[in-house]
Amino acid sequence: MTEAMIATILSGLVLGSLYAMMASGLSVVWTTLGVFNFAHGALMTLGAYVAWTISEYLGLGLAAGMVAGTLAAALAGIVIERLLVRPFYTNRNMLLITVMTTLAAMIIIEKGTQVIWGPRLKQLPRIADGELFIFGSAISVHEALIVLIAPVTLIALWAFTARTLTGRSLRAAGQNQTAAALIGIHVPHAYGLAYALSAGLAGFTGVLLGSIRFLTPTLGSEPLVKAMTVVILGGLGSLGATAGAAFVIGFLEAFLVLTVGLYWTPSLLFLTMIVVLIFRPNGLFGGRS
Amino acid sequence: MNRLSIFILPAVLIVLLAVPLFVEDSYIRHLFIVAFMYAVLASNWDLSLGYTGLFNFGHMTFFGVGVYTAAIAAKTLGVDPWLAIPLSGVTAALSALLIAAPVARLKGIYVVLVTFAFSQLVLQLILSQSQITGGGEGMVRLPYLRLGDYSFIRDYKLGYYYVALGMLTLSTLFLTALVSSPFGKSLKAVRDNEDYARARGISITRQRIAVLVLSAIFTGVAGGFYAIYLRVASPEALGFGTMSLTLSMVLIGGVGTIWGPVIAALILIFATEAFAGIRGMEEARFIIIAVAMILVLRLAPGGVLALLNRLTNSTLGR
Repeated sequence: MTEAMIATILSGLVLGSLYAMMASGLSVVWTTLGVFNFAHGALMTLGAYVAWTISEYLGLGLAAGMVAGTLAAALAGIVIERLLVRPFYTNRNMLLITVMTTLAAMIIIEKGTQVIWGPRLKQLPRIADGELFIFGSAISVHEALIVLIAPVTLIALWAFTARTLTGRSLRAAGQNQTAAALIGIHVPHAYGLAYALSAGLAGFTGVLLGSIRFLTPTLGSEPLVKAMTVVILGGLGSLGATAGAAFVIGFLEAFLVLTVGLYWTPSLLFLTMIVVLIFRPNGLFGGRS
Repeated sequence: MNRLSIFILPAVLIVLLAVPLFVEDSYIRHLFIVAFMYAVLASNWDLSLGYTGLFNFGHMTFFGVGVYTAAIAAKTLGVDPWLAIPLSGVTAALSALLIAAPVARLKGIYVVLVTFAFSQLVLQLILSQSQITGGGEGMVRLPYLRLGDYSFIRDYKLGYYYVALGMLTLSTLFLTALVSSPFGKSLKAVRDNEDYARARGISITRQRIAVLVLSAIFTGVAGGFYAIYLRVASPEALGFGTMSLTLSMVLIGGVGTIWGPVIAALILIFATEAFAGIRGMEEARFIIIAVAMILVLRLAPGGVLALLNRLTNSTLGR
């Protein structure tokens, strides 16, 4: 039993780390632009496929693939912001319209990867091989690295948005567009940067995920739903709340898989989310706005 | 809009009733049947999305519930398909009631997230309960519609054509009656000025629940019909493909109208089928639909119907 518990905790840590990285990207775009980016999962897929092309198809190694995947997703993010989000800034129904345009972007990327790379399964190599044993439970070194990378990335993201001038300009643009413009912040640049940052993060997460799962054009759709559950539970407002909710969901999922099995886990997660929303419509850690 | 509904639309119905007299090809008739089905889906979705301004992105759930209700009822439980199809409307409305309870209290983006997550959950349930639903393979060889000894698939799908057209007509009459009723007007009031509508005593919570349930009825019926007609129930009913196609109909037809999505469904089904015939376009056609959605949102937010209205008004001297 204790061994199963340790395995569950480890699995919860890995899941929580991945969810935190996915959901924090969503949160960055939401807090800065007020846009929910439905293409976030597809950007993960894109990052993973580009990384595969560089690292496996061209044989340039995983590190190069990782950089290329991250950059490709960031670039796609800039294009999405430029073409699909920016034209609607002044629209009264911006929230709904951008849900639909980013949904369209998701379809384009998903079907695009299928057309370009074909339906055959691919897989990325792991960062490092081998396994670690923690209190008698095995965890692959790759997954252990994810558990380390996630907090580092999140802290870096937090430090950037809270401590640097450029990062703070993102938050300023998110809180009050007009005031931000008045003190000399180029708001469209800030928006573009936020999108690039979030998309790059998605691409990077996609690369990490591509070594655990097989690459398919729908690689990102299930994680997107998980990231949604996380942001619903945590509220979209702050990075800390998002990361906290990600680990809550990760542990809960690992625990449910252990107790009720794989089949009923998604339903129970959803039920939890609904119960939380009924009592706290702004999320578990959300303020009372 | 009024002029359109009074003069042109009965004419459209007469033309559609007469189509089988001229079109004997069973594939073309099949396209009409599918288009009628999508028209029901899209126009009912527009009741919640466009008319009410409720950010419902789980509309395909109701369709999927309808598909599987008819499939399980007709095949597993041996219910007559004629009963299984309306039963689909009932279960879809019940599933809408289930999701409406939390959704009624939420705001903005959280409505999108919860309704979308709900559709993904139902999809997961269908995939995991494979002993009931057939899992990823779906259910095949469902019973088909027959009247006495007459199978509806005969005479080049003549029977199915009229059943589908009948379903679309009923659904459209239902929707137009609904939106022109006092209830329908209160929906518009909430969409256009929520605070004012609330001050006038409109209960937004009750409205949202009613709209979700009402929009699910014919969506479920369409799902049941689809399963019985194709004799297949597959998880794709809840997939992104079906959803994006239907959403593009709502957008291209014109958000906040009943007839726009119906017209767009007819155009888009024939257009996408034309693309599907070109080699290498089976997947790429969805990219074209997505691009069309974006272009409509950027260039013609009113959709096809707004363009049509502008044209008819200018030719009639207004």
